[in-house]
Amino acid sequence: MSFSVTTRGDVCIVEVEGQLIVGNRQELKQKILDELDKGTRKVLVDFARTGYIDSSGLGVLVSLAKKMREMGGDLRLANLNDDLQTLFELTKLDTLFQISETRERALENF
Amino acid sequence: MSELDIAVREAKLAAQQLSESWEEINLLYSIGEILGRTVNLDDAARTILNEISETVGAKRAAIFVHEASSGLLRPVAVLGADAAKMKPIAIDDESSVAARVFRTQRPLLVPEGELESPLEAPVRTGAMLSVPIMWTSPTGGVPLGVVTLSGRRASERFTAGDQKLVAAIATQIGTAIQIDHLVKASVATERLAHEMQLAHELQMRLLPSPNVVAPDATCAARVEPALSVGGDFYHLFKLGQGRTGVLIGDVSSHGYQAALIMALTMSAMAIHAQNSDDPARTVTSLLASLSDELKQTEMFLSLCYVVIDPERGELRYANTGHPHAFVVAADGTAERLTATDPPLGLGTEEPRGSRRAWHRGSDLLVLFTDGVSDARDDRGRVLGEARVLDVVKARRAEAPQRVVDGVFALVEGHMGRVTPEDDQALVVLRS
Repeated sequence: MSFSVTTRGDVCIVEVEGQLIVGNRQELKQKILDELDKGTRKVLVDFARTGYIDSSGLGVLVSLAKKMREMGGDLRLANLNDDLQTLFELTKLDTLFQISETRERALENF
Repeated sequence: MSELDIAVREAKLAAQQLSESWEEINLLYSIGEILGRTVNLDDAARTILNEISETVGAKRAAIFVHEASSGLLRPVAVLGADAAKMKPIAIDDESSVAARVFRTQRPLLVPEGELESPLEAPVRTGAMLSVPIMWTSPTGGVPLGVVTLSGRRASERFTAGDQKLVAAIATQIGTAIQIDHLVKASVATERLAHEMQLAHELQMRLLPSPNVVAPDATCAARVEPALSVGGDFYHLFKLGQGRTGVLIGDVSSHGYQAALIMALTMSAMAIHAQNSDDPARTVTSLLASLSDELKQTEMFLSLCYVVIDPERGELRYANTGHPHAFVVAADGTAERLTATDPPLGLGTEEPRGSRRAWHRGSDLLVLFTDGVSDARDDRGRVLGEARVLDVVKARRAEAPQRVVDGVFALVEGHMGRVTPEDDQALVVLRS
């Protein structure tokens, strides 16, 4: 499992491969904090290749989203598979994030 | 010079060499004994320093030990000076002989007038011999400290033999220092393990006995923290007129901070649950009690609080981001008590409530945390919510304890020898 970081315009896109769990969440957090230090204020996390997120993974997304909002930025999500979409709905976290079906759609109005 | 004179002189020289060697052998033997008798590094260091100084004939000496956390060489034994006046030396100090020897890991004999550091002045008169204390491990040598000797009697010079002797002793001191480090680390680990065990027992004691809701309800519950202390918990309240309150919670972390949030939630709920039979109001009051702590710790709390009123045939609940809350009916259907809001600590100030019918004596309330349904086997495969519910449905007519036992047998069978990564909690109740 790993994270790849690319940039499209002023949006930083982080792709999560495999899982976002207690064992790698800090790595994702640090990657995004490093981008914030460089001045990035728009981050899109792409879950096209992610099969599973545990509660601590959800926690790190929430704390990053809060931090970005405080800094005048925005963190959005894209490409959740059906199970992950259900997880966000069951925990009502879908009300806290802007979630798009595809990367392109997420970038359209970012 | 006659042959006899030469013979006498050689005999005297041989006797002197023998005497010196005997002193050295005796010194090594004494130090071996000292190290064998004690595990107290300071006492051993002082005794060893006395023995070396006596043998080499140095009036001033010191043993410095490296402290990894501060990067300082700390004097642990001092001879010929007031130990209280000695200050630690930074290992990157360019003017210090001890620091240079520690960095280069090589012995150094410095003549009088050279490299005179004020930090070493109390233990230096004239030339100074300094030797690194090494610990040799299978991966190589590691410097642990430095021995310095100075003020040799009768202005004699330190010789290569002295250097060799001190180096041999330094190796033994290295072993003593390493043993001291290991003993201290072992004591600290043991103490920590003991404290974690106490914290675990304390946390388990905070959880109520399922019998507190009898005879209004029959309940069974089990919590298995992933670490000694965890963030999953439940609480039960007898609310009067046959009503029962049931809470399950999952703090978004493990360890001490999660345990603190758990303890605060348990005590705050004990107060708020008695003030209202409306779960939404109770959880709103709970959030007011916890919000500062949640903000400071960057944690959030998913919970489901259910109030069952069998007399009125009604179940009311507030669910802040808790996915696994169900009512399993007599016919085996499982209805989810869907979340009404995101987890506490994420901005919601007034969680909402919901209600549904409750069939007295036949409906089963089943609340569990994601550590149960997300348990993994040795190939990383997730157990899944559906399989947990299958066990519950199959045992729905049995006592709640049988349902809890069945689910944990399933979880344990699935995990095998895999250590759980997340806390596991399950509450089953009939009323």
